[in-house]
Amino acid sequence: MFNANIMNLMPVLGFLVFMLFISYMVKRAATADRAQNFAKDYFIGGRTLGGFVLAMTTVATYSSVSTFVGGPGMAWLIGYGWLYMAIVQVVVVFLVLGVFGKKIALIARKIDAVTVIDIIRKRYQSDILANLSAIFIVAFFCATMVAQFVGAAKLFEAVTGFSYITGLSLFGLIVVFYTTIGGFRGVAITDAICAFAMIIGMSILFYSMMETAGGYDAIMTHISTTNPAMLEPFSAGKMPMSLYISQWLLVGICTLALPQSIVRSISYKDTKALHNAMIVGTVVIGAMTIIATWVGVLSKGILTDPSLAAYGGSVDNITPLTIVKSMDPFWAGITIIGPIAATISTVSSLLLSSSSSIIKDVYMRQIEKNGRTVDNNNVKMFSMITTIILGFGIYFIAIAPPSVIWQINMFAFGGLQTAFFWVMILGLFWSNANSTGAVWAMFGGVLAYCSTMALKIKIFDLHQIVIGISVSFILFMIGNKIGKRNDDETLKIFFPEEYDK
Amino acid sequence: MKYSDKFRQANKEAKATVIATAAVIIFWCLAGFGLADSKTTIFSTPIWVIGGCIGTWLFAIAVSIYLAKFVFKDMSLDEEDDSNV
Repeated sequence: MFNANIMNLMPVLGFLVFMLFISYMVKRAATADRAQNFAKDYFIGGRTLGGFVLAMTTVATYSSVSTFVGGPGMAWLIGYGWLYMAIVQVVVVFLVLGVFGKKIALIARKIDAVTVIDIIRKRYQSDILANLSAIFIVAFFCATMVAQFVGAAKLFEAVTGFSYITGLSLFGLIVVFYTTIGGFRGVAITDAICAFAMIIGMSILFYSMMETAGGYDAIMTHISTTNPAMLEPFSAGKMPMSLYISQWLLVGICTLALPQSIVRSISYKDTKALHNAMIVGTVVIGAMTIIATWVGVLSKGILTDPSLAAYGGSVDNITPLTIVKSMDPFWAGITIIGPIAATISTVSSLLLSSSSSIIKDVYMRQIEKNGRTVDNNNVKMFSMITTIILGFGIYFIAIAPPSVIWQINMFAFGGLQTAFFWVMILGLFWSNANSTGAVWAMFGGVLAYCSTMALKIKIFDLHQIVIGISVSFILFMIGNKIGKRNDDETLKIFFPEEYDK
Repeated sequence: MKYSDKFRQANKEAKATVIATAAVIIFWCLAGFGLADSKTTIFSTPIWVIGGCIGTWLFAIAVSIYLAKFVFKDMSLDEEDDSNV
């Protein structure tokens, strides 16, 4: 850890102030659109995203603080096997945009949807399903946000020497504030800048490490003489095949269903933007994954003690220690912008999605259901208030997080996938899917996933996501037999090709 | 393009995306596990690392370019031009 010197905070501070400035400019530019339809502009940016920003915001939302802390730490321990496993993430951008991108965009315009839940509610004609979705989204997102804040604040403390609470307050309060004023447009543009900051930060670290350890060859020679298992894909049994398969599902294929990714399909401008985003997103997520995880493998040349106990017994200490040992405080201050950018870009998107669930999916829905018209000024006021209160709440919880947050966070990533995987896929590609099946699949799947996670029950040593989506699928099929098919009026929106032969 | 034709095209694209993902998985297996026994190194790095990680990344980029340029079709996302057809 460096001595707390205010000068070393300047780069981070400058970056955060820049984010605030961008959001303020976005807010000014969007004033006219917001006066017309606040929710549409605030929660999906009025469907104006271009390809580049769409790609960057999808990647930045997906890459979190663990891309830069937990992941590289594991790579230090395991070796190249961890990089080989992490690279499965290259499919996530083109997969979600390719499978859902166009259909969601078409349907969202047709029914004027602002959230993923709008689409689910319309497709299944079920308020129970929509409310269940809103509960899962808000609970899982909030736990994830707290965990992101804690991870980044710990890193901040370990590198800069400033206290945990200083770091947390610095980036925590600023991200809440800029998300509140900037809305989705602000989030998307700041995300794009964050993605750049992540790549730059990790590249600086990569270069400094090489310098400190005497070059790539020297590190590789050190690894092959002291720890040759790090050069094997199975890492002498530390990376079993079951882990590879689990990761393909958990961080690869099933990410298809994450609502924070799907919502981006509502927000882009035209099909050209979508097509470009598939390419740019794949390039960027691959580069980011490779650089960040490779840094972890090579930090073996910096942190040479074979035992993790020498580094505080936690892989989370590897990245901060590598930064401290391979660069001076000034460059370290620039490098940590990377992980902080990863954190705030994830938090900003989740915060906005959570508040859209509360405002659009619960509050506005309730008003419309009672037959009253929704007042644009009220929506504006409540949306911003909800975002800021939720954000402050998360900030306060992150100061001293209760243990239940960690449990929910552990369930969050796979839980969201389990909840939405079949509901989205069958909902959009199988016209017979009905609400009974969907409710059973969502509720039963998440229950099965969380309980097997809590009890540490595994099948074939595979991650519980396998149990989650299997149970969810079976329940969908059973429930679907009991429930009734949707009315043709609704299905014509979602499956026009079946009605127009 | 009619609304229904847009959906036919979207179904085609979704199917192609799933096939593309399967292709990446197969490439990843072959270029990583498939080369794991080779003792060859490039820049002191085992060849399976280059193939399985860098190779998979480049292959995924190639696949996404193929999808975006040859399989995916431009269309208007708004409804107005439905009536023209």
